[in-house]
Amino acid sequence: MAQSGKGKLNYRCPSCFMRDLDIDMFYDKEKEEYYCIRCQYHGSEADVLEKNQMARFRYGAMMKRFEEKDFEDFSEG
Amino acid sequence: MDKFVVNIIHRPEMVPEYAEKVTGHGQAEDIGRKALLTESLDIFKTQQECAHKNGLKTTIEMTYASLFNEEAIALAKEHHEKYGDEIALTLLGLPCKEFREKYNTKDFCIWMFSMEDKKAIVQDVFEKFYDCFGFYPESTGSYYMDAELTNYIKEKYPSVKCAVATCWEEGPKAYHTCNNSWYTFMDGGPWAPWIPSKQNTHAPAANEEEDSGIVAIPHLSRDLIACYDGNGSNFGTHPQNVLRGMIYDTETWEYPYLYNLIDQYRYQAKFNDGYSYNMMFVGPGWMNKMGRWEAPYELLLKSYEDGCAYYGKLKKEGQLIDMTMSEFADYYRQKKSYTEPECALWRDILYGSKKQVFWYCDPYLRAGVNMDQGGAIVDLRPYVAKLNWPVGIGTPHIQDASYPFLIQEKYRAGYFTHYAGEGTVRSAKICHNGEEVDLCLCRTKAHFSEEPQGASAETASADGSAAKVAKNRILTLDPVDIEFSDLTVKLQTVLTFAEGTGSIRIDRRVLEITPKEEGAAAEITINEYMVGCYGTTEYTEDMSSLTLSVTKGGEKTEIPYEYKCREASLEGADCATCIVPPIETKVSMTCEGRDKAGYIKEGYAFSPMFTIGYTGKLCEKEVFTTWLNLEKAN
Repeated sequence: MAQSGKGKLNYRCPSCFMRDLDIDMFYDKEKEEYYCIRCQYHGSEADVLEKNQMARFRYGAMMKRFEEKDFEDFSEG
Repeated sequence: MDKFVVNIIHRPEMVPEYAEKVTGHGQAEDIGRKALLTESLDIFKTQQECAHKNGLKTTIEMTYASLFNEEAIALAKEHHEKYGDEIALTLLGLPCKEFREKYNTKDFCIWMFSMEDKKAIVQDVFEKFYDCFGFYPESTGSYYMDAELTNYIKEKYPSVKCAVATCWEEGPKAYHTCNNSWYTFMDGGPWAPWIPSKQNTHAPAANEEEDSGIVAIPHLSRDLIACYDGNGSNFGTHPQNVLRGMIYDTETWEYPYLYNLIDQYRYQAKFNDGYSYNMMFVGPGWMNKMGRWEAPYELLLKSYEDGCAYYGKLKKEGQLIDMTMSEFADYYRQKKSYTEPECALWRDILYGSKKQVFWYCDPYLRAGVNMDQGGAIVDLRPYVAKLNWPVGIGTPHIQDASYPFLIQEKYRAGYFTHYAGEGTVRSAKICHNGEEVDLCLCRTKAHFSEEPQGASAETASADGSAAKVAKNRILTLDPVDIEFSDLTVKLQTVLTFAEGTGSIRIDRRVLEITPKEEGAAAEITINEYMVGCYGTTEYTEDMSSLTLSVTKGGEKTEIPYEYKCREASLEGADCATCIVPPIETKVSMTCEGRDKAGYIKEGYAFSPMFTIGYTGKLCEKEVFTTWLNLEKAN
């Protein structure tokens, strides 16, 4: 089995990202999967992208554009 | 009219941080690789172009490595002539073949070198700069500039008047995020520009005598909620930080958060005498052609172009003034007095909550107030101690440049602890008939106001050119309802930060008491408390040298800290105090209120904290007032 390397982008482990850890994953060409050397996460590129999307769950206002009047407006809605 | 000032800084970093590690994977380390040097300079050129095409001037912080590169030097000269960019000198970007051969080390953070090496490197770099440009720089910086380093630079090169000197809340959290491999510990500093004291960079100077002679700017303008809670490197005015945080739409490549962050900083002018500030400083490694943090180069580039375009748009609209670092230093000294605080009333703009915090920073203290916890103080740094805290090899704190805390709700728990013990926080408990409610559980919102301190309030800007007035900054919280089984209490909290005093006044006013049944006693007990400790990290320090005391007139009860869980109280006490020798700090509470009693609590091994506080009684319309006072303990 040949050594692993970096993939085409430095994908981080989505599982570690969710606990505020930035760990680049390595790519296993034979198994066509990324894997984390810190935790047990492993998955295809598609799975990584899906889990990254999931990691955004906490950013409830990620796409909201605040205006000046909003910075001290806490009314509902 | 409000003034929003922006510093845009670029550095031709010939061997960018990360680039060698990230792009060079699978090759033996070679920091002299031609491809790396060429790419680095290309990125610098791209960044400069992004700023210039949006009508923005920059500060070019030459790195040591770039001083050996004729093209980089020529570019800096050309852009200075053509665009008015300042040519400055950063102490970042030391790594290069020449540096490694000369100093025989892979260290690259200037504050971590021995003092002897710091002096040698500074002299080397500044003289090399002079050889290249024929003058000494007015601006410099690093991620952190320790006081000893700044004092040396100012003494040797008095032309220096501005420096990038810290990165807000870059500490253990950043270390953890980087798999415990990124040794930048610099929590506890200001988030916006300040004049550092000669004694400690993080603690602003209180007067001319303490003035280090420079104006410091933070490395980036960071989200004052997100960075305190999580990885700082995801939430700043650094477009690629936002990508690192995955705070963008992967389909449309939109990131409104970046603009919200800039705009909320602009909003801070409301609390800072019409002035607000932003700093953008992106190292070339963040825009490398291989892409980074799942983002392809095209997205890295787009985010930087968009960041510059937004600043450029604001400038065109007359809502932004771009300055070089040295221009900003002059402006800042004319604008701010020594004791004038920096204030920030900040809301969550990312997670979709309505959480609101207030940050206050002056030469005597830095405090964080959390309105989601009833206005509890959840972070407290006693700048009044002006703690001498040398860092670097050969000192007691080789890497740890953080200013110590007395309260830090994330590292030493806040209101919530597991099963036993207490966490650090300054709050109050309202008690009635055996029931107890901590104000930490009363979510509310705050409103900012200010008032002159009175007849003796006249002061002046740091350069003496403008008259200023010392003020109280007042945080008035919306009233909260506290439900007991037989009555409801409507209570309002007001925090007053008195400029130049090192004291925080807290008023608790009972607006209404509504009995639920006839005959219920309409009186409550209040317990104002501060649970504290000291440190710079998550782990406890030895508390054995601390001494607690409560005094009234000549009467004094003292508890030397021995982890014995002892307590003492005194009716009508004048003061409850804890002296914390390792950080040369005396913290005390004083009080005006009915039936007041001061108390102290020692703590124990499983809860290595101390508590100082006051209890008292309150009826409707009554007020209970306490002051939290910070002093230097010699």
